[in-house]
Amino acid sequence: MELYLPIAEISINPSIFLLLGMSVGILSGMFGVGGGFLMTPLLVLLGIPPAVAVASEANHIVGSSLSGTIGHLKRKAVDIKLGNLLLIGGIIGSFIGIGIFNSLIKIGLVDLLITLTYFFFLTGVGSFMLYESLDSLGYLKKKKRRKTYHHSWIMGLPFRMRFKKSGLYISIIPPLLVGFIVGILASIMGVGGGFIMIPAMIYIIKMPTSVVIGTSLYQIIFVTAIVTLLHAFHNQTVDVILALILLLGGAIGAQIGVKLSSKLEGPYLRVALGLLVLSVGIVMASDLLIRPEETITIIRGGGSN
Amino acid sequence: MIKNYLKMFLIIFTVTAQAPLDLVIDTNERDIEIKSGISGTKIALFGATPSGKRDIIIEVVGPPKNQAMQEKRRFFGFWLGRGKSYYKNVPSYYNLLSSKPLEEITNQEGLNKLGLGIEHLPLGKAEIKYSTIKQSEFDQRLRSEMFKNGQFFEEQGNIILRSGPGKVGLFKTEFSLPPNSLQGKYFVRYFLFQNGEAISYAESTIDLKQAGFARLIWIFANKFALLYGIIAIILSGLLGWVVSLIFSRYKLT
Repeated sequence: MELYLPIAEISINPSIFLLLGMSVGILSGMFGVGGGFLMTPLLVLLGIPPAVAVASEANHIVGSSLSGTIGHLKRKAVDIKLGNLLLIGGIIGSFIGIGIFNSLIKIGLVDLLITLTYFFFLTGVGSFMLYESLDSLGYLKKKKRRKTYHHSWIMGLPFRMRFKKSGLYISIIPPLLVGFIVGILASIMGVGGGFIMIPAMIYIIKMPTSVVIGTSLYQIIFVTAIVTLLHAFHNQTVDVILALILLLGGAIGAQIGVKLSSKLEGPYLRVALGLLVLSVGIVMASDLLIRPEETITIIRGGGSN
Repeated sequence: MIKNYLKMFLIIFTVTAQAPLDLVIDTNERDIEIKSGISGTKIALFGATPSGKRDIIIEVVGPPKNQAMQEKRRFFGFWLGRGKSYYKNVPSYYNLLSSKPLEEITNQEGLNKLGLGIEHLPLGKAEIKYSTIKQSEFDQRLRSEMFKNGQFFEEQGNIILRSGPGKVGLFKTEFSLPPNSLQGKYFVRYFLFQNGEAISYAESTIDLKQAGFARLIWIFANKFALLYGIIAIILSGLLGWVVSLIFSRYKLT
């Protein structure tokens, strides 16, 4: 069966995209990340125009993060006050991100921006995962664990506020800044940004791990919703049909992933995921470096016709 | 099915009633049937010709649309779509239907003379930016991409010929429009061939009142961009919410 995607302007086999949604959903269920950072590049590799992939993936994450947040809200694992602070930063960041995105569309370099951003993040995150998991498996030489660096200057920042749920009394600047960076990434990469935000919440903001995922998901719903709206309004690149197919597959996959994660061994899984992330990053970059089969092509997506 | 036969009888009746021996192709608007559904739009064309040794070629050209193309070049070591060409009058649809494989009906010269075939389809003047490539090269790639992507077709052997009563022959063909088809006027040209020569010609138009499903979504996304964005968010959120309801009801998490 063939399905024509109205905005991406290509015919696809929906079962392939359901399967893709499911596979990324399994990974996100296992690791507690949204998986947008894997989904967007895979969509591009499957032929979706990069700008459409970014915008539609943001649209997809609205639903998947909402679905996730509901579960965490029931377990009372969301710090809404801190989440709102992350959100304020996120909103400002997403507007700036869209500004960068749109100005690069005008000079025809937006595909380069997307691909390069992904290359750096995927190879960076991939190598870190690989290093960290090999280390925990004992394959790397045991080094003396570095003492956790106490960010004394972060502790000393002004505008402190109390967050009961997280049991913190901290400056509002770090959460705003983290949210801001995630907002920029969300609009350029079409990700929720959990893979950046979660470590930052644990190591920089020092939130208790029990509320980290729920709070980040809460912020992601609204930031990706705004990113979706901005892309739809400025660039007409949101393919809602594509987003809904991915969401359907992803919902099933996430449930499988949660079940699987209790049965499989973590470090080996992370080695596999690290390798996968790394290879997607490299394939994406090679697309830029290798001479394409056809140098002249139709421009799809984004209201060009 | 029954409707088609009725239509055929109607044509036979009117054609024979008019005793149209000089009229070699008879078609008009009532001989066009448009069926729209979720799976797309199907169009059936009917007509009458004198019976005997004959072949028919039908050309359908859809309403024009804008189309942009890019030319990838090396730019600081990266392959990027720097060169652009903007077309304003590319037919959104093209189909060359025939009663037999084209080479059995006439030779290439015969097709060239009548301007039949994808390679003869006029694409209009393109505005080329940041590129030294000639328009003819963009044109050639545009034609082959449109063919590859299911916008341009050559459905050879898709016209069914039948003999009617007396000296009347009937033809019928059916083709599907892609889901992103535009609404508007589709121009149809009919050619009657005998021994490799075009001996008669007729034309008609199909007025497609409704665009394809995918095209309707596209129009909505472009004309009401803000509303489309809001609906996209609501749909995604709704599906996410329903999913969480289902999974919590059946205690799957």
